[in-house]
Amino acid sequence: MSSVEESKIASLKAQLKQLNTEYAKIKDLPAEKRADFGKEMNQKKQQIMAEIAAAEAAAAEADVEALDITAPCDLNGEMPEFLTADFGSRHPLMTELDRVTAIYQSMGFDIVESRQLDDEYHMFDSLNFAKAHPARDNFDTFRTEEGFIPPAHTSTMQNRVLKAYKHKLDEGQAIAVAVPGRVYRNEDLDATHEHTFYQCEGVYVSETCTLGNMLGILREFFEKYYGQKLNIATQPGYFPFTEPSLEFKIEKPACIGGKKGDFLEMLGCGMIHPNVLKMAGIDPTKYHGFAWGGGIDRLVMLRYQLDDVRHFEAAKLDFLKEFSC
Amino acid sequence: MLISLNWIKKYVDIDIENDKLVELIGARLVEVEEAIDQTHKYDNIFAVEVKYCEAIEGTHLHLCKIDDGGKAKDVERDENGYVQVMCGAPNVHEGMFAAWIAPGAIVPQTYRDDEPFVIGMRKMLKKYDSYGMMAGADELDLGDDHSGIVELNPEGIKPGDDFAKLFELDDIILDIENKSLTHRPDTFGIIGFAREVAGILDKPFKTPEWLDLANTTAKNDKATKLDIEIADQTLCPRYTALVLDMNSESKKQYLSLQDTLLARSGMRPIDPIVDATNYLMLLTGQPLHAFDYDKFTEVGGAKTPKIIVRAAKKGEKLELLDGKEIELIESDIVITSNDKPVALAGAMGGKNTEIDANTKRVILESATFSLFNLRKTQMSHGIFSEAITRFTKGQPAGQTLPVALEFAKMLANFELVATFDEYPGGYEPERVTVSLDRINNLLGTNYSAAKIEKTLQNVEFATKLTKDEITVTVPYWRTDIHIPEDVIEEVGRLNGFDNIAPVLPLHATSDPNKMLQLKTRIRNNLSARGANEVLTYSFVHGDLMQKVGQDPKNAYRIVNSISPDLQYIRQSILPSLLDKSYGNLRAGYEKFALFEMNQVYTRTADVDEDGVPNTNYQLAFLFVDQKSSSNYYLAKKYLAQLLEAFGIAFRLEPFKATKDAQFAYYEPKRSASIYAGDQCIGHLGEVKASVSRGFKLPQSTAGFELSLDSLVALAQDVQLKDRRISQYPSVSRDITLELPLDRNYAEIEQSLRQILADAGLIYKLVPTSIYRPDGADAKKLSFHIDFAHPDKTMTKAEIQAIMEKLEQTK
Repeated sequence: MSSVEESKIASLKAQLKQLNTEYAKIKDLPAEKRADFGKEMNQKKQQIMAEIAAAEAAAAEADVEALDITAPCDLNGEMPEFLTADFGSRHPLMTELDRVTAIYQSMGFDIVESRQLDDEYHMFDSLNFAKAHPARDNFDTFRTEEGFIPPAHTSTMQNRVLKAYKHKLDEGQAIAVAVPGRVYRNEDLDATHEHTFYQCEGVYVSETCTLGNMLGILREFFEKYYGQKLNIATQPGYFPFTEPSLEFKIEKPACIGGKKGDFLEMLGCGMIHPNVLKMAGIDPTKYHGFAWGGGIDRLVMLRYQLDDVRHFEAAKLDFLKEFSC
Repeated sequence: MLISLNWIKKYVDIDIENDKLVELIGARLVEVEEAIDQTHKYDNIFAVEVKYCEAIEGTHLHLCKIDDGGKAKDVERDENGYVQVMCGAPNVHEGMFAAWIAPGAIVPQTYRDDEPFVIGMRKMLKKYDSYGMMAGADELDLGDDHSGIVELNPEGIKPGDDFAKLFELDDIILDIENKSLTHRPDTFGIIGFAREVAGILDKPFKTPEWLDLANTTAKNDKATKLDIEIADQTLCPRYTALVLDMNSESKKQYLSLQDTLLARSGMRPIDPIVDATNYLMLLTGQPLHAFDYDKFTEVGGAKTPKIIVRAAKKGEKLELLDGKEIELIESDIVITSNDKPVALAGAMGGKNTEIDANTKRVILESATFSLFNLRKTQMSHGIFSEAITRFTKGQPAGQTLPVALEFAKMLANFELVATFDEYPGGYEPERVTVSLDRINNLLGTNYSAAKIEKTLQNVEFATKLTKDEITVTVPYWRTDIHIPEDVIEEVGRLNGFDNIAPVLPLHATSDPNKMLQLKTRIRNNLSARGANEVLTYSFVHGDLMQKVGQDPKNAYRIVNSISPDLQYIRQSILPSLLDKSYGNLRAGYEKFALFEMNQVYTRTADVDEDGVPNTNYQLAFLFVDQKSSSNYYLAKKYLAQLLEAFGIAFRLEPFKATKDAQFAYYEPKRSASIYAGDQCIGHLGEVKASVSRGFKLPQSTAGFELSLDSLVALAQDVQLKDRRISQYPSVSRDITLELPLDRNYAEIEQSLRQILADAGLIYKLVPTSIYRPDGADAKKLSFHIDFAHPDKTMTKAEIQAIMEKLEQTK
């Protein structure tokens, strides 16, 4: 610390001491003047204390020794070493996303990452949500002051993906895109609910594709993912952006402890609503398609027999080291 | 929603096993959360006649002898074969028929308990044997009434009849997950649900005639006056009102099949009028409400009742049936009597027009309201009744009159005197045409025209078939069918999506996503060097930003955040890692590296062509070491090898803060900005002492951040790095250079490399130490160098020449 700074801090501290002495005079004042006096003194005191803190911080920073930013090590210091490899880990959700997207890539899908801040149009309007659909209410989605939305589903990318890949249809090909990403729901946190989680969306459009093709692709995906033949089942569902809408289930694979007749709901899916295609500038009388979306967190939970989603975003090494390289 | 399968069976023949049916309903209509088997819930409960009943003085008990038709086993019987049972109910009397739970039977109220209560023989007042019990509605799980025992209508029953058979109680109750039926108001009634079951089983369904629009018209009795005024038909498309007069005193109440159906559907019998409205609501999905006519007229202050349906006014108050007074909001719809609120439409009636024991004249309301307004009403007043649950699905206007007229037929002691119906919009059935090819092309099926037609006719679509197309007339209850795809869904769903063969389509190959590839490589690279990948929330507390010197004004603020901890979208990732480090130190980890790759949005960044904030992909890396006083060089080592791995040439320049203080936490004297060419791609350095103190971290905690958007553009898939090795002997030397203290290291290393490269050598250069002897004003830089010529063995002289050049570097 330089002597200039030292003397400045010393003088501030002296002022503070002086102030405290003056403050003691409050008991000699008439009662009705005490409140105002106390207030005034207190303000002065706060101000001096803030100045001391600022001066001390400035002094501390002035004390910082510069280093040679280009050097490989400190002067007289040891050469730094990497941590040992077996300490390191990849996040299980990211490993899973890599695994999932690799399968989709092998099945001929392009991959587009979902964005984490979007608008009303992409999140709802372009997906054929009626103006008063309850999911639009504040109860489900977060909103910023400007009205932007941290998306509640990866479907927020559908309109963009359809527009970006429309040229494929003109070239006589299919649009086949998978969209992984982080999504948000305004939900209280507990062992099975996270306000932040990951999904993967699929979008497929061509002149000839069918609901049977959708079931074929989804079964193929899960068979590759679990490395075994699987029985599948569906259930009618309801989403504004697909018609028909279905819930897709697989018979729980033996490798994660499944028994026959034990079905797991994996995702929601359906034939893309003609209005959604129209809004992306695709003629729904000529082309049709299907889309689906499912959670990634759940796949990880099932794979590693985890029982608490809160681990995923807690950044605790105790948990992460379970996934060491 | 609870659905009695026995009730469904009244409308459709079911000829498959219950298990199979539940499975089909799940696959073709809606998830059945649970099929509650009640087929044995009422086993060993009998209708009995009370043959003898004597009050025992000084107690509330009666000693009864009952005739159970000799059905019960293991009971003692008197000379007439009657069984003795004590009964505390005040309404027990000789000659009545009651429901008797025989010894050994389960009390139905406890049927679903972990340990159901089995009744036996009890000794009462220390001397009277009492076998089984005569049951009240609550014990039978058929009501809440505990004031007495249930009395059965003696007509048509004899002692010993199975109670379950009399009331069709050997039932399966389906617990339906109704969230996925929000677009299907028709399935919120037994008839609508049964219609679906018929469709699923490929059987034609016939809606009862009384629900047919063609059979119902309103007939106004001129003598009875009532006015209906709908202020806004978007709020209330149709309002039907009946006036009914009491024509005789109500008769004695026996337990009825209707009572048990209400109970099985999760409701409770209350009184004849309310029960009839509830019964019809469960049957058709149409909620009804009964007002006391005289109270209604009096509240309005006019001679004859005037119903005005309108939006509520701000600040208006209404006392509801449950006694709560609520303050109305403008999105509420109110029923008023001559403009005075008497009911919160769709949700609950008002106290001031409640029917009671003295009600002689009733106004029955059967109406439809805007589901959007009612959703708001539901949420703002927290009313989640069976009625509003149905209304918020959008009940069809067509059914209000037919259901009201059915109500008029149900009450024994009331007669219909007048019918009023206000339906400004009227009804025009919707028609949809779809090509048969399109149905099969979209589903991937090969259904014949006849099969398609039958599927739709089963659930009462009127159809017209041409060679290529089918035109359907949509029944009034199907408010969800408007476009060809809606019809296609019906065909696919009712025939079973599971019967469609999964087939893989053929399509072209895909292109890799460079950003994902980059992230995967970084993930592998850093984790292989002992770093741990983490994910932290995109949302942070405003305090966290202030703690690191960021300005919350530059962050997007969430207006409906769950807690202050999640109020802002973070401006960069490193602060989250700083925030998560102390917990790991405390958990006993003394030295660790965390990294995260994620998206970041700031208000200072641009928006894209859609007007949405641009996405910035960032990598943040943090090294924490409890014991080290300088982690800058560790973080730098990770950074340098990472960029080298991607073939990115970079240089470090003195730290330059951004205008928006996004990276304000770096200590400028011990930090650098990372450049590739003239582009700043990130920052490296130790965080300010005040910052590390704020997070309770060691003072020299250091890290780096990189723009992944920059990296993805710079990273090379194919690296043009020289990986040759020489076949000729290589020379291994150590050199030490003495340099002024302030001499920049990178320039020295660069000069050495230049000398070796200019000589055309294949080389490897590694710094080994930077040493400053005590008190000296110079530092010594030591390197280990291996080099060789690619085409020849180097001579001593050549080696000497190179070494001299190297040693002269300064």
